[in-house]
Amino acid sequence: MQLLKKFSVATISSVLATGIVQSAEEPAPEDWFNAGRQTVIDAGHLNPNEKHAKNIILFVGDGMGVSTVTAARIYDGQQKGGHGEENSLSFEKLPYLALSKTYSVDQQTPDSAPTMTAMVTGVKTIGDSLSVNQFVAHSEPDANIVNANKLTTILERAKSDGMSVGIVSTARITHATPAATYAHTTNRDWEGDSDLPAGATVPDIAAQLIDFNINGGIDVALGGGRTRFIPKTATDPEYGIAGKRKDGRDLTADWINKHNNARYVWNKEQFDAIDPNATDHLLGLFEPSHVHYEADRIAHDKAGEPSLTEMTRKAIDILKKNKNGYFLMVEGGRIDHAHHSGNAYRALTDTQQLAAAVQAAMEKTNTKETLIIVTADHSHVFTIGGYPQRGNPILGLTQGVGASSPDLDMLGLPYTTLNYANGTGYTGASNLQPAGSKTFTTPNTASWPSGSEGHNPASFSPAFGRPLLVNPQVQAPDYLQETIIPLGAETHAAEDVAIFAGGPKAHLFHGVMEQNVIYHVMAEALGLAEQRR
Amino acid sequence: MKIFDFLKILFSFSLPWLSASSLANSDSQLPEVACRYEMKVTPHGKFKATSTKAWFFWRKPGMVQTQDADGHYGEIWQRTANGSIQYRKLYHVDKTAIEYMPADMPTNNMSFDWIKLSSMLDQQELHALKPVKKTRVLDRSAELRKGKVDNRDIEVLWLPDVSLPASIISKDKTGRAELRLIAIEPLSATHRKPVDIEEIANYRHIDAADFGDMENDPFVKKVMAFTEHHNH
Ligand SMILES: [Zn+2]
Repeated sequence: MQLLKKFSVATISSVLATGIVQSAEEPAPEDWFNAGRQTVIDAGHLNPNEKHAKNIILFVGDGMGVSTVTAARIYDGQQKGGHGEENSLSFEKLPYLALSKTYSVDQQTPDSAPTMTAMVTGVKTIGDSLSVNQFVAHSEPDANIVNANKLTTILERAKSDGMSVGIVSTARITHATPAATYAHTTNRDWEGDSDLPAGATVPDIAAQLIDFNINGGIDVALGGGRTRFIPKTATDPEYGIAGKRKDGRDLTADWINKHNNARYVWNKEQFDAIDPNATDHLLGLFEPSHVHYEADRIAHDKAGEPSLTEMTRKAIDILKKNKNGYFLMVEGGRIDHAHHSGNAYRALTDTQQLAAAVQAAMEKTNTKETLIIVTADHSHVFTIGGYPQRGNPILGLTQGVGASSPDLDMLGLPYTTLNYANGTGYTGASNLQPAGSKTFTTPNTASWPSGSEGHNPASFSPAFGRPLLVNPQVQAPDYLQETIIPLGAETHAAEDVAIFAGGPKAHLFHGVMEQNVIYHVMAEALGLAEQRR
Repeated sequence: MKIFDFLKILFSFSLPWLSASSLANSDSQLPEVACRYEMKVTPHGKFKATSTKAWFFWRKPGMVQTQDADGHYGEIWQRTANGSIQYRKLYHVDKTAIEYMPADMPTNNMSFDWIKLSSMLDQQELHALKPVKKTRVLDRSAELRKGKVDNRDIEVLWLPDVSLPASIISKDKTGRAELRLIAIEPLSATHRKPVDIEEIANYRHIDAADFGDMENDPFVKKVMAFTEHHNH
């Protein structure tokens, strides 16, 4: 077992979260046995923390299904020089785990709106709806009807209770997941006033963020989505494109005016200069729409933008000043987008970044008083298959135990370990790329400078057989894994997602739970459940 | 097929790209024009039909806009004051624009060259072809250039005064493709105007990165079905 030479016992112990063996040797059978035994002993000493939580941090990996977590764990471990399988991401070391049933009132496979609504209001609702109940029709424009059916969110309850509240995302801060925490609307796409139908009285999501009027307003909001905060007469500071607001409001200026001791930043330099002790309300909008994938952030951003980890740290430093505690929601919002594009590499590297943000939060908080929850809103049709040997590169071709070349399918062709059931990696010719493997970027060989628009195909021709894959190609960042069913975008998946938790009341997560239970655990942890009674 | 898809087929050779920002304002001398182009693709083989399509092409400083002859579909490129280029696909019937956001453009390798946008071919591509003769077309002086690129015979009739092709013909063993300028006039004189920027600003805007989460959106559903229909 030549492969096992690289295997380090320190990494086993980390997966088992016990830290028992310090030898540099590969683990012997007794090491496995002892580490397993130690895990049980430690579990026996695990005392449920029955105290109320002072703070709650809810991390949501958008689209971060169990297979994404496993593949990201292996990818991360291989990056660190190990085999990968023994590695654990920061949040995999949290002591409590449950499975979350993600379906919504009307969807077997849900979108991010009703799933986040379930997590932050305790109530499941219909697709596309944000923190309103199932009785309001989709796209209801009447503010009175929406108001009559709105569901109070954990963020609103925390704020009413005198706590500080924050939201951080790599998506637009008005995108479904962050929006569900502070906005009430029946169409997740009504992010700015220009997205509303004529005559609608329900306010747009960006306005709801700025006009949030409980106890002095939201304390921290960091993410993307700038153009829906600035009027169309103004231009974007980074790219010069026009703003999108028709009502003439500059919501970034309103943020400053409506809040005490408030600041607005749009690039990393300004962000870095923010002194958390001197700032009580921080709005940071780092891109006109979503911020960059982590894999592209440093190389490509024009003005520089902070990572999810840096945003999380800054948010905690501002929020923790409140002695009543805080509620913070942090979303890894683009794991979902990378999967929709059929690109495992960017989904895994964004998951890695979410894990780094969780690690930063763990380091900045005390587990005795802060409940940390890490979960996903829904899964994706992303699979880890074949029989690759231990330590086989997770993005690579499947190569079996003891084999010296990749395994072959019944056509005599190699295949990758990671695949999607549907989406844009179908190997028939698309309207954008020829038959064969697809790439995230359409190669820039064309003379017309519209060049590439990523692989968002509008049509496919049938594939004949499979392409001949080779290793450097499939491990390249832009490779799109093969799919069976050709679609313009890869889809969400319906299986359960995991809930990882640690801190006060974290032990209340157990077994297979409905997704809306997450709210009820948070409410219990904050003591809000008793108040209600 | 859209106008740029056609140009991709014509020139599939790679060239070093000039950066848009280094060329800022270099299009200010290019005249504002309104053009009508027609494209004809004739594949070899008995059962393959010739397809023809017409486009409008408008150019003014800082903006290039194209539109199908029926006016349903178009594209717009705008250069902003700081040299960024904003690209949007326009669905005029639905009053909807699909945006390719700056954060995703480098990721997607969408680096635009403003000169190429404004002139369809850049100097390097033009100089890869040999000048054959000087002539006149549509009452303008023109220059015929020919060459072989990637096993294709390419012939370009170039209008140096307006920096645009009067025709591009590409032939190889699979068939013949031709882009021909049918009419050209000053932008101020044309009756078929580009859609006003103000009007486009009022369109519904969708970030291309959000398509995966909009599977139930009637517009997104229709766009997928629409293109599929037209490609068969
Ligand atoms: Zn999604």
